[in-house]
Amino acid sequence: MTTLADAEMGGTATPRFDRLGVVIAIAAGTGLRLFDALPTMGAVAVAAALVAALVAAMASRRPLFRLALGALALAALALGAGAAGAHLTPTDNPYARIAPASGFWLGLFATAMLMTDAMVRLKLGPLGRLVALVITAALVAALLASGAWSHLSLIAEYRNRADVFWREAESHLLLAAGSLAAAAIIGLPLGVLAYQVRAVRDPLINILNIIQTIPSMALFGILIAPLGWVAAHVPGAHAIGIRGIGMAPAFVALFLYSLLPMMANTVVGLSGVSRAVVDAARGMGLTGRQRLMQVEIPLALPVILAGIRIVLVQNIGLATVAALIGGGGFGVFLFQGLGQTATDLILLGALPPVALAFAAAVLLDAVIEISARGKA
Amino acid sequence: MIELSHLTKVYGDVAVVHDVNMHVEAGTITVIVGTSGSGKSTLLRMVNRLVEPTKGRVLVEGRDVLKMPAHELRRSIGYAIQSHGLFPHWTVARNIATVPMLLGWDRKKVAARVEELMELFQLDHVQFADRYPHELSGGQQQRVGVARAMAAKPTLLLMDEPFGALDPIIRGKAQADLKAIQRRTGTTILLVTHDMDEAIHLGDRIAVMNGGDLKQYAPAADILARPADAFVDDLIGPADRPFHYLTLGTVRTAVEPGEADGAPLAADTSLYEGLGALLWSGRRTAPVVDASGAALGRVSLGGIADKAARPR
Repeated sequence: MTTLADAEMGGTATPRFDRLGVVIAIAAGTGLRLFDALPTMGAVAVAAALVAALVAAMASRRPLFRLALGALALAALALGAGAAGAHLTPTDNPYARIAPASGFWLGLFATAMLMTDAMVRLKLGPLGRLVALVITAALVAALLASGAWSHLSLIAEYRNRADVFWREAESHLLLAAGSLAAAAIIGLPLGVLAYQVRAVRDPLINILNIIQTIPSMALFGILIAPLGWVAAHVPGAHAIGIRGIGMAPAFVALFLYSLLPMMANTVVGLSGVSRAVVDAARGMGLTGRQRLMQVEIPLALPVILAGIRIVLVQNIGLATVAALIGGGGFGVFLFQGLGQTATDLILLGALPPVALAFAAAVLLDAVIEISARGKA
Repeated sequence: MIELSHLTKVYGDVAVVHDVNMHVEAGTITVIVGTSGSGKSTLLRMVNRLVEPTKGRVLVEGRDVLKMPAHELRRSIGYAIQSHGLFPHWTVARNIATVPMLLGWDRKKVAARVEELMELFQLDHVQFADRYPHELSGGQQQRVGVARAMAAKPTLLLMDEPFGALDPIIRGKAQADLKAIQRRTGTTILLVTHDMDEAIHLGDRIAVMNGGDLKQYAPAADILARPADAFVDDLIGPADRPFHYLTLGTVRTAVEPGEADGAPLAADTSLYEGLGALLWSGRRTAPVVDASGAALGRVSLGGIADKAARPR
């Protein structure tokens, strides 16, 4: 127990000199302990909040109480990290960087686990989970907007690249959501076709299965040649942005990856509709189209939405790789950071997609649960 | 009402239904009975073209069903199936309204019809209209299924094992209710079952199917008295035959003059129930009264036994 408490309280900060643009090499950071990183009163407050949360969480089983404790500890960690940034930043050196280190991240992980566990035990309904998601997003936005973290290196990296950040965010969303929309427009009718015409089903699923097994980097590579040819030879293609590298191959690759889950879930969902219900619909005199639109698709909707959820979460992650072939997105920061061994830049590229994927999963899970109501 | 001539359905090289000729009288209940694989469901499903006949003709009210668009034909014929097939994402009211909505009835007329049907099938409108099927008991779901089939006032109702998923007590009640509702509305019913008891209880006429052939088509009493072949005989069950026979008549037909002790029997009680009442109360005779309670005479074990004997 003592060691765990130590690990949680070791909120060390890392002052580090980042002379980006002058020399690529970055000076190694120095680790600081909690009491060195904050003024005494602040350090005592953070430590007290963490210890209190830990001890009380071990003593109580009530989920709402544990959730509140987790939130308290998380707030102490977040504000403490921000305060450490302000406290440690030297006034005379604009290149100095303060970054939260392993103690902060471990503490963040532990409190997040505590809160997630409490949320699961609360057994929130879909609407409750959506509200929790909105509150979480609002709190994160408030923290970032308040300036409490403005002295931390992650925010400093963001400030230096704010306009690029939002441009890449836009590309990232366009890639992930656009390819999903395209896959839905093509994949849903394809799924309906495969459901209605048995002869089409297996060949289609096999082809898409093969595409699914191609690694993303390889698929980008494979697409460069044909798209390059299209850009060079099809009039107007270049003008609408089709190139061998850049957004187009990334978009096409994500679209191809999305087709299988879209189509397969549509087929599975439609096949899962009770035979008695389909027979009754025919016997009542619904035409083929009425049966599909009024009975089969509504009943298959939860499974189809589950396909959309898989695709969206998968695409938000995969779109990060698009930066490697000039497709843009948060991957731009990630790969820049990897090239320069700049951890903050890596985080700037990695954290937003993680948060987006998480939010998309929570949102769509709630929608799926709502759509499945009354279809038991 | 229905005229089937030389009706045949072939899958591969197996004739599932083979050269069936049948005439169904309007306003009656006709039960098609047979074992599984006998072709009874296929025969029924050819009437509303859920199965397209390979050969032969189906006339419903004089019209050749093969010459009508299938969906229009089906909207004009009621259809109820085993395990009801209710649309799970629609409320009870919306389910019942299915065919009227397809036919484009105006909203008020649909709502009035739904309310009327729910009352007919003893489903409280306020309590059940906005519920979903999974919130109902099996017996309630089955009633909604039949109400839905009758929503657009079809003159013909096709039922494929409609009581198959119900437990015995609820099934008996559902059969009695269906019979009462049919007598009231005059709807022609063509019903498929594997249960000879159900066939005898419900059917004005019974059609026995075996191996795709129509073996016998006659009123229940004839089927019991003169089974066409060993298969029909088997299906009835020789030991049960006299008791089946007793379910067809009422004690009124066995009334003899005289008096008797103990609780009286209503004249409309079936002979079968009358026999049971006598045996269980240890009496040899019981008084019989009519609906107003006036004494009609008495009924005896011997009198009932005479009615169970094979007619000559």
